[in-house]
Amino acid sequence: MFAYYFKLGIRSLRRNPALTALMVITLAVGVAASVSTMTILHMMSNDPIPQKSSRLFVPLIDPATLEDYTAGEKPGDIQITYTDAMNILKSGLGVRRTALYGVAGSVEPPRKEIPPFTMGGLAPTRDFFAMFDVPFAYGQAWTEADEARGADVVVLSRPMAEKLYGDVNPVGKRLNLMGFPYTVVGVTEKWKMLPRVYLLQGGSPYATGEEFFIPLASAVRHETQHNGGMSCSQNIGPGFAARLASECTWVTAWIEAASAGDRSEIQSWLDNYANEQRKLGRLKRNAPNRLYDVPGWMEYTGVVGKDAKLQTWLAFGFLALCLVNTVGLLLAKFSVRASEIGVRRALGASRAEIFRQFLIETVVVGLVGGVLGLLLAFGALQLISLSGKAMANLARMDWEMLSLTFIISVGAAILAGLLPTWRACQVTPAIQLKSQ
Amino acid sequence: MEIRPIFAALMRNKTGPILVALQIALSLAILANALHIVNERRGIMARPSGMADEHAVFRILVRTLGNETPEQQLADIKRQTEVLRAVAGVAAVAQVSQMPMSTSGSNTSLALDPRQAKESALGSIYVSGDSLVKTFGLQIAEGRDFLAPELVDVNEATENVYPPGVIITKPLAEKLWPGASAIGKTMYFGTGPEAQPTRIVGVVENLISAHAEFTERGMFSVIIPQRAYGGGRGTLYAVRAEPGQRDRVMKEAEAALRKSSALPLILDLTTTDDDRSNKYRSTVTVSWMLVTVSLLLLVVTCSGIVGMASLWVTQRRKQIGVRRALGARRIDILRYFITENLMITSAGVFGGVALGLALNQLLVSKLEMSRLPGGYLIAGAVVFWLLGILASYGPAWRAASISPATATRSV
Repeated sequence: MFAYYFKLGIRSLRRNPALTALMVITLAVGVAASVSTMTILHMMSNDPIPQKSSRLFVPLIDPATLEDYTAGEKPGDIQITYTDAMNILKSGLGVRRTALYGVAGSVEPPRKEIPPFTMGGLAPTRDFFAMFDVPFAYGQAWTEADEARGADVVVLSRPMAEKLYGDVNPVGKRLNLMGFPYTVVGVTEKWKMLPRVYLLQGGSPYATGEEFFIPLASAVRHETQHNGGMSCSQNIGPGFAARLASECTWVTAWIEAASAGDRSEIQSWLDNYANEQRKLGRLKRNAPNRLYDVPGWMEYTGVVGKDAKLQTWLAFGFLALCLVNTVGLLLAKFSVRASEIGVRRALGASRAEIFRQFLIETVVVGLVGGVLGLLLAFGALQLISLSGKAMANLARMDWEMLSLTFIISVGAAILAGLLPTWRACQVTPAIQLKSQ
Repeated sequence: MEIRPIFAALMRNKTGPILVALQIALSLAILANALHIVNERRGIMARPSGMADEHAVFRILVRTLGNETPEQQLADIKRQTEVLRAVAGVAAVAQVSQMPMSTSGSNTSLALDPRQAKESALGSIYVSGDSLVKTFGLQIAEGRDFLAPELVDVNEATENVYPPGVIITKPLAEKLWPGASAIGKTMYFGTGPEAQPTRIVGVVENLISAHAEFTERGMFSVIIPQRAYGGGRGTLYAVRAEPGQRDRVMKEAEAALRKSSALPLILDLTTTDDDRSNKYRSTVTVSWMLVTVSLLLLVVTCSGIVGMASLWVTQRRKQIGVRRALGARRIDILRYFITENLMITSAGVFGGVALGLALNQLLVSKLEMSRLPGGYLIAGAVVFWLLGILASYGPAWRAASISPATATRSV
């Protein structure tokens, strides 16, 4: 019976072409609006490292002065001082630790036909690569020894390696970076975290990947400026050394624990550490030390923009409106068929049977609307991705969203069809037959 | 009027009218809030940057491959400034630490009294050894521009120098000293015992901050008269071209800089127009999306009203025929349907006003939006009343054209 009803449903699409078209288009537009905004929200709030997100932790230690502090005040800072970052690196906490900041470096390409340019990258410690599962195309991360002496070694991203050296293995080659000769030790495979949770500084968290990596110690030795914000609660002295020793926050640290359960252990280490530092005359605020796993970090830093949430809410409001509209149109469509229902009922069809037939007919409308809505959503996303690099990275449909579109459109159609279908079942055969 | 019979007829078959009213309520609520947001965003984008003829201004970021000493950097800055000034069609050049709306720059806390715990305001810091008033084309509201002796060279690598005098924007002056003249007054960089005093020598009408924040902070800028070098991040120049010559001047300035340097330079040229459109790009996207949804909203609601009204006309052909046969004129039938629709629309509009306020309340509490002014709801209500009449006119006219004979024949 299902196949037959399905065929009937397809046939009935042609019965009231204007009304049906209106219904399909209304559904499609509603689905397209909600799916395209939801895709962006979905990509924005995407967990970029699901296999580890519950055991990667960011510690935050408030180093600011006491003067402008009221206890329990919500802190706005998302970085820590160089001093605290170094101490966390040395702590032996968890399985791996890293500290990092964003850098920009001028490059003198070995190929003379390319003029010098600037690339954006990261100055982490070597654990970073293993911690965030960065894949390597050639070579590997720098060694412990290189790290310890702050050697001038660099890991390039694959597109950057190809730009500089062409399609060959550049490991071992020299690169003039920031005015110093660096040695290439590795090339990462195409790798981009969306959002870029490991460093929420310097540009959109959805825009670009890293073009190169140099050891934190090397960057500090060459007094490389950080790319991103710095927050100071007191005036600091001139020069880079003063910044390293200052209570200004400009570094992000990460700790990888063996399991999510080690959180309390890390927290108690942080609290002990802060108490020790307090004895040394630092951390006067005595503010709570905070620890975030990746989802908590995204929540705390507000990576997902308010505009994206607003758009999604409005789009769902719009979908609701489209649904109400479809209910009305379906009512209209079914009401003209009262006599047909009367005949079927008189010939022995049960109410359940009628219900099934008309619900399947609505599902057909939902499917057609869904397919059209999906096409419209693709178009809308294409349009949205024209508005900048970050949006182009976000406006991408994945399988999850694709199936969700179908669930939404068919679900919407069924929801819209319930009331009209129920009304159709209420037709009393006698009255319908009499009036013919 | 025949309101009571129409109402009674509506009450007999409630589903359809309720659906239409619900649709109108939903669209009115969304429409009013969407337009409110769009208008607010437009207001933010329309804020003046304080720069005269923004189209004539661009910035050049100059970086080198090597590591010059701070002294070499200072010599380079002075030489490059002269090279840029010598380019035909350049009206003014200033070495500067940050550019308006470029979304990259620094802020500092400002206080009226070093003993206060909280800062009075956060200011966006423009550090320039040349006249920004001339290069940006700022309008001096009070006081004066910096004098030549006030513009000093500061080596960032070895010294921290706090300027004795600064220029601030009028919105910042109003925030710090409401209703009073700011000239000659003292404010502090930072709070606490290390706060550094400075005097206000001039107030400019406006200068938008580097990050162009959407709050009042976006207009809190401070100009510091220093040529800072030795910071190691490259040198940024703001260049004002003669009106209409920007694109040519940009090309020639780039060529002149490259020619003047023995070492290869990394140059990054961006117009202020581009900075502005980059800064507000996502705002424009959101606005367009909201406008599109609003238009679709109107179309869908309109089609809903037409659809339902047509259905009712078809369902009541017989009744209409009977009424016509009993002496009702066309105008009576027309009026009946339009009145009926107006009643449904009104119910929807009242529901929509309540729903719109509720939605706004939600946006205010969850997304920190501002309150919805009543004007939007009133305008929305008028729009939907007109839309209701327009949409129902077609079906009502068809109803009125039903001849009594055809309508009653099938009985």
